Amino acid sequence: MSGTGKPANLDLAPAAPAGTPEGSVPQPAREAQPVHTWEKTNAGLGEVIEALPDLRRQSAGQETATRTAVMTLLMVTSNADDSEDCLASVRSLGAHHPCRVVVLRPEPDTIPGLDASASLWRADPPSREAHPVLFEEVQLRVRGQAASHLSSIAGPFVLADLPAVMWFPGALPDPADPLLKLANAIVVDTRNLGPSRSDLAHAYRTLLELANHQPVVDLSWVRLQPWRELLAGLFEPERSRHFLQDVNAVHVKGKLGPRHMLGGWLMSQLDLRTRELHLEDAKHVDIVVEAKHADETGTFQVSRDAGSRAVWAKATLSGGTSHSQALPLPDDSLTSALAGAVSNLRADKVWEHALVAAATLAS
Amino acid sequence: MSAHAAALPANTLAEGLDTVRRAPPGVLVVFGASGDLTHRKLLPALERLSRRRLLPAAFAIVGVARTEMSDDEFRDLMADAVPNAGPGWSEIIKNSAYIAGEYAHPDTFSALRDKLQEIEANLGTGANRTYYLATIPEVFGEVARALGRVGLNKPEPGGSARLVIEKPFGRDIDTARQLDAALHEVFEEDQIYRIDHYLGKETVQNVLALRFANAIFEPLWSRNYIDHVQITVAETVGVEKRGNFYETAGALRDIVQNHVMQVLSLTLMEPPGSIDAQGIRDEKVKALRSVVVPKPAEIPNIAVRAQYDSGWVEGNAVPGYRQEDGVSPQSQTETYVALKLACDNWRWAGVPIYVRTGKRLPKRVTEVALQFKAVPHLAFPQDAARGLNPNALVMRIQPDEGVTLRFGAKVPGQAFMVRDVLMDFSYGAAFLEEPPDAYERLLLDAMVGDPTLFIRSDEVDTAWTIVQPLLDTWGSGGAPLSGYASGTWGPRQADTLIERDGRQWRVP
Repeated sequence: MSGTGKPANLDLAPAAPAGTPEGSVPQPAREAQPVHTWEKTNAGLGEVIEALPDLRRQSAGQETATRTAVMTLLMVTSNADDSEDCLASVRSLGAHHPCRVVVLRPEPDTIPGLDASASLWRADPPSREAHPVLFEEVQLRVRGQAASHLSSIAGPFVLADLPAVMWFPGALPDPADPLLKLANAIVVDTRNLGPSRSDLAHAYRTLLELANHQPVVDLSWVRLQPWRELLAGLFEPERSRHFLQDVNAVHVKGKLGPRHMLGGWLMSQLDLRTRELHLEDAKHVDIVVEAKHADETGTFQVSRDAGSRAVWAKATLSGGTSHSQALPLPDDSLTSALAGAVSNLRADKVWEHALVAAATLAS
Repeated sequence: MSAHAAALPANTLAEGLDTVRRAPPGVLVVFGASGDLTHRKLLPALERLSRRRLLPAAFAIVGVARTEMSDDEFRDLMADAVPNAGPGWSEIIKNSAYIAGEYAHPDTFSALRDKLQEIEANLGTGANRTYYLATIPEVFGEVARALGRVGLNKPEPGGSARLVIEKPFGRDIDTARQLDAALHEVFEEDQIYRIDHYLGKETVQNVLALRFANAIFEPLWSRNYIDHVQITVAETVGVEKRGNFYETAGALRDIVQNHVMQVLSLTLMEPPGSIDAQGIRDEKVKALRSVVVPKPAEIPNIAVRAQYDSGWVEGNAVPGYRQEDGVSPQSQTETYVALKLACDNWRWAGVPIYVRTGKRLPKRVTEVALQFKAVPHLAFPQDAARGLNPNALVMRIQPDEGVTLRFGAKVPGQAFMVRDVLMDFSYGAAFLEEPPDAYERLLLDAMVGDPTLFIRSDEVDTAWTIVQPLLDTWGSGGAPLSGYASGTWGPRQADTLIERDGRQWRVP
């Protein structure tokens, strides 16, 4: 039942980790490797719990790795395809933000039972002077009625004294689900909501309800942060700052979801009316803020050049003053977004205000 | 709040983005812009700050140096310093300019003033000016005075004027005070940012987090529980190509007066009322002032100086110090120092602090080890506790930054045997974020205006006060210079220094 090699159990074979995107500051990421794996179909929960220390004991004689954990990451997904991408990201993350990963796959319409795998992963640091790190991954396919009572399954795997983060890569959870009580923070991705505007508006309202109970971190919001930083930075110089009070039009291009969140953010932070916001479907994000202050006009734009891997931020004021900044295309990989999310697990009032406005824009 | 700040509306778009500190719009003026430090450290650090989105759009670098060079040639130099730069670097390069001139010549500084005004008008950088002196220390005072003559030392309304200098801050206490006086003629103390790049290291700052964010350590952090402290700054490298420089410095000036004193003060200091620049620096100075200044008569018993001979390091045969390029065959410069210091205050009275630093030692390591007292009574049979040592808390500053706690545990089995085990926290294993390099951190802090990690005038002065008697005694030939084979942990005399007290150096 136990052995080395990749855990092929539960059809969740490890995928290649997300690479370091061009231009980003290099992260010392190394692909983690499975060290020992245990798996069983129709397992008892106690067997899975016992398997974890057994795996560590097996590794003790052969490895010099230290076991470190900074949180429990619970991932809830019903989609096997989602799971592969997500697990690959979590494993890349695990090398540097080690956590116990618990994957829950509820399958309520199948024969009752529990299929489980537990594996120990090893991540080698890039420096030979640093220690390797071991982290644990538990995958649980919960079949039948128990799939509606995941809190009773997941609870024993949550590490004491550390934050528990619950990640929903696909559908949003029901705010009343007792499973959420295990979590200190919830991670979602508003980029995956939709596909229609009305779905989006409904999802935004659900998120606001979730945010009433615990911090919600939105991976899409994390990915949009560089764009927000660049735009905000254009208003840092004193001469540009006055234009913030006299914005008369904002144009936001992007995909369904991100453009609504950016539009909602600008609407709430600049106190704009809906008619001053112009949203347009596009492959890449592009923001233009037009303002007039006293006798001067100002145009502030953050955009990506077609075919380029750079993002440009440019302020042009009447009278000739302008400043611009170019940055590498921000890393929008799942690993990077997830790393950003788990590094900052707290309620974000700006995001919540943006969500309220975005719900209006999507309605 | 000034009337100027009150009139400026808040940047509401920046709300919620303040978890990351970013430099405000401004200009960084680098004196010594054609030199090695600028090329090797400053420009790459600035490029990384740009890639991390920590520099603003309205930002420029103005290089000043004696070397004749056009703006375009300086821009080429900037590009050359960072071969695989991100696109943001080209924008900064485009905004940047160069002024060639003698530091003694007033025209150099009036040209600089005009250039700053031109950039500020075109780019909207405001009047936030940071002057980085990447020059030889001998011209620090001259540059500062020249900036004052054209009024560039005074912050303009809504702006800032900061002067950044790097060690050495003098060669001894007299020259340090002369330098200080020269700087203070034109700059206020709160405008002066003295860099010791050790303080920019993430794990040096982690000493503060470990001590003051955890309730379990601080109550033990005193003479009641700690037997002694050991600070080790060991390098495997020799003087490399810096023989000429090192001949005028030595380990005491190069490492002990600055890096060791900084680490020492962070280790010994009392908890500050607040973790801010004044709170931390006040307590650091208080700690340094409590360190007993060695008396000349006792120096032979508490200090060892030595120089490396040839030997083997990391599998390579290496020459002795006197065979290195730029080093005199009769050199009396020390490459190794071991000290026994004491701190006379309520917390540390009677706790010896052993310090050692050296080149060509077996392993590159910087650490602070707190050796706890042995338990008052060992209840186990002697055989059962054969492998047991007193507890030790080790803060590893480099490499493999982290914290190790040594404690005793029962060996599994029928017999009752106790032995040492290590609980090891590796900093890099618990946090995703790649820590910024020390120059990145300190450049950003200077531009943001956070002086916490910079050294205040009184800290420099107090550190010199501690080492000056050693300089005087050694300079007058009052202490022998020992030798040690490269690849060993130092001379026998250093072992004797600690073994006299019934203790031993750790093997890091």
